[in-house]
Amino acid sequence: MSAFARLRSAALPALSVVMVGGVLALQLAHGGGDYKPLRPASSCSAQPVSSVSTGIDGLTEQLVLIGVDVAACQLGMTREALTLQLAQPGTHTDAQISALRAGLLSAVDTMKADGKLPRASQLTREAVDVSNLSSFRKAAIRAIPDALIDKTLTTDDVLRRTINDLDLRTLLANLSNRQQLTAQVDAAVMKAVLARIADDLH
Amino acid sequence: MRRTAAALLALTVGCVLADSAVVTLALPEILERLHTTVGQVAWVLIAFNLVLAVVVRPAAWFFKRLDPAILSAVGIAVFAGASALCAVAGSLDVLIVARSVQAVGGAFAVVGCLQLLVEELSERRGTAWWIAAGVFGTAVGPVAGGLLTDAFSWRSIFVVQVPIAVLAVPAALVKRRRKGQELAEDTPKHRVQIGPNIALALLSAALTAALFLFVLLLVDGWRRSPAIAAVTVSVIPLAALFSRPLSRKLRAGPTAETMSGCLLIAGGLAGLALLPSAELGWTIAPQALVGLGLGLTLDPLTLQAMDGRMPHFLHGSWTIAARHAGVVLGLAILTPVFTADLQNAQPPAKDAITALVLDAPLTPEDKISIAGGLSDQLKEENGRVPDLDPAFAKLHVSAIEKPATVQLERDLNDQLQRAATHAFRNAFLIGAALALTALLSLIPLRRRGGER
Repeated sequence: MSAFARLRSAALPALSVVMVGGVLALQLAHGGGDYKPLRPASSCSAQPVSSVSTGIDGLTEQLVLIGVDVAACQLGMTREALTLQLAQPGTHTDAQISALRAGLLSAVDTMKADGKLPRASQLTREAVDVSNLSSFRKAAIRAIPDALIDKTLTTDDVLRRTINDLDLRTLLANLSNRQQLTAQVDAAVMKAVLARIADDLH
Repeated sequence: MRRTAAALLALTVGCVLADSAVVTLALPEILERLHTTVGQVAWVLIAFNLVLAVVVRPAAWFFKRLDPAILSAVGIAVFAGASALCAVAGSLDVLIVARSVQAVGGAFAVVGCLQLLVEELSERRGTAWWIAAGVFGTAVGPVAGGLLTDAFSWRSIFVVQVPIAVLAVPAALVKRRRKGQELAEDTPKHRVQIGPNIALALLSAALTAALFLFVLLLVDGWRRSPAIAAVTVSVIPLAALFSRPLSRKLRAGPTAETMSGCLLIAGGLAGLALLPSAELGWTIAPQALVGLGLGLTLDPLTLQAMDGRMPHFLHGSWTIAARHAGVVLGLAILTPVFTADLQNAQPPAKDAITALVLDAPLTPEDKISIAGGLSDQLKEENGRVPDLDPAFAKLHVSAIEKPATVQLERDLNDQLQRAATHAFRNAFLIGAALALTALLSLIPLRRRGGER
């Protein structure tokens, strides 16, 4: 085979190598090797949380997001995996419930340390508005000045009482029922507020 | 008249060989209409290729003794009848049986058409027509199937084959032999070319990744319509057409062509394994590589396996058997890999979706509603990549939250596409490895080139 013929027969393989190399290099340069689903962040490293909701809804959401992270870390899993487990209908294990409660309590501490908790008067007013208390009791609580409420109650204390009183199994069972879920959280907050006031009166 | 007959015979060969992949784009619709499972519907594809691969070589035996025109006409008629049965099949079992009968008829038809084309045109031209029709059918099959499915229904794929085959029956009978015109006893019998046939089998297995898995990725993974998928995969046959002028211009020779082709197919499949996004634009270059490779390999390898080898029908049958055995091999190797990977892709996809929903700038109530809708959708899709649109369509959000909802749906779809694309990665890489193995199988051929 002449040198020219050899060169000619090598041209096509050489061109093929260049084309394949070019395409693969271009794709890899644009993230072709990394095109895969997002990996969830470790639940044991603190993640920033926020909520577009305000009032009790927003506060609850932030507490839940932080709380689930802490609980997942305690259970050695990702926040996403625990959320999916908790969202499943059926019974939840004692370990899950206890980790979730501990996580929520820890979330109260975190939010308090970050100065993100609302004033007790703000929380109480909103809880009263949505509660099913009698109008007489609502009026009585509304009559208490904000300054007095804030002096008497602390938000973190109310929240801790709420979390400890909450029936988390029922709460998880109500996840798909928006009305029942809200009613349960609001009732628990109101109960905690009233219990705290009652303690002070004694 | 003779030209018309030859064209009809070549068209029949194209139809039969297109059938090996023609239903690929129709499988999701067949799955839905015939209420079956992914595992069962795959047999619509497997049955045809398996039966064709098994029957085609024994079918060639009959051509030694009987008139090729009669055998071809009977084969084409059986193919036409089975195509009609496929078109009206009311259950998957009937469809699979009809596909198997189609393959039996197809086996006699392709082998017979080769012999008739050689007798009609000349050895060289008849073989070239036959090979070109086969390559064209293989490359165009998924495109045609996708367009017909989208325009009409999956049944139309089989309906269009019937008139072509019906017209080809008299075309085959034109070459009916007179009494005493059997194959001469002294016709030389050449040895089967092992190397090119092995390479054809391995390349067909590799091309299954491009012609079957890529289509599945488009339709099931990225949720594109069969028509969009058909237009997208048309890059492969177009590039295959372009390969001829390219090789003619470079005059590289058959060995350089086939080796380059294997490399291009391997590179193209590696490119499909390393897509940077689910945008269709990114698939063009890898598909073009596969198409160029297909054009540079199937044609010359089939010619190498058949050129000057007698009897034609015997060597032709070996190439068809090798190619379809390769398709079955490809499906057997790749299907469990990608189905397992698709299964494994579900937990990370669910995690990514959960993370996005949890962090979305929406009210907790909307997040819970979306999560519930997505959960229902995931259950309904039963392991397939879910369509999220229904979950969002049911959602009633305020105008302020609308942009965040739209963004969330886009992000969730992106995560699902990422998961699906990633799940196909190993299968494409195995396809690339098969193409490289085909390249290795060609190396001894070069050393023994002088013996041929």
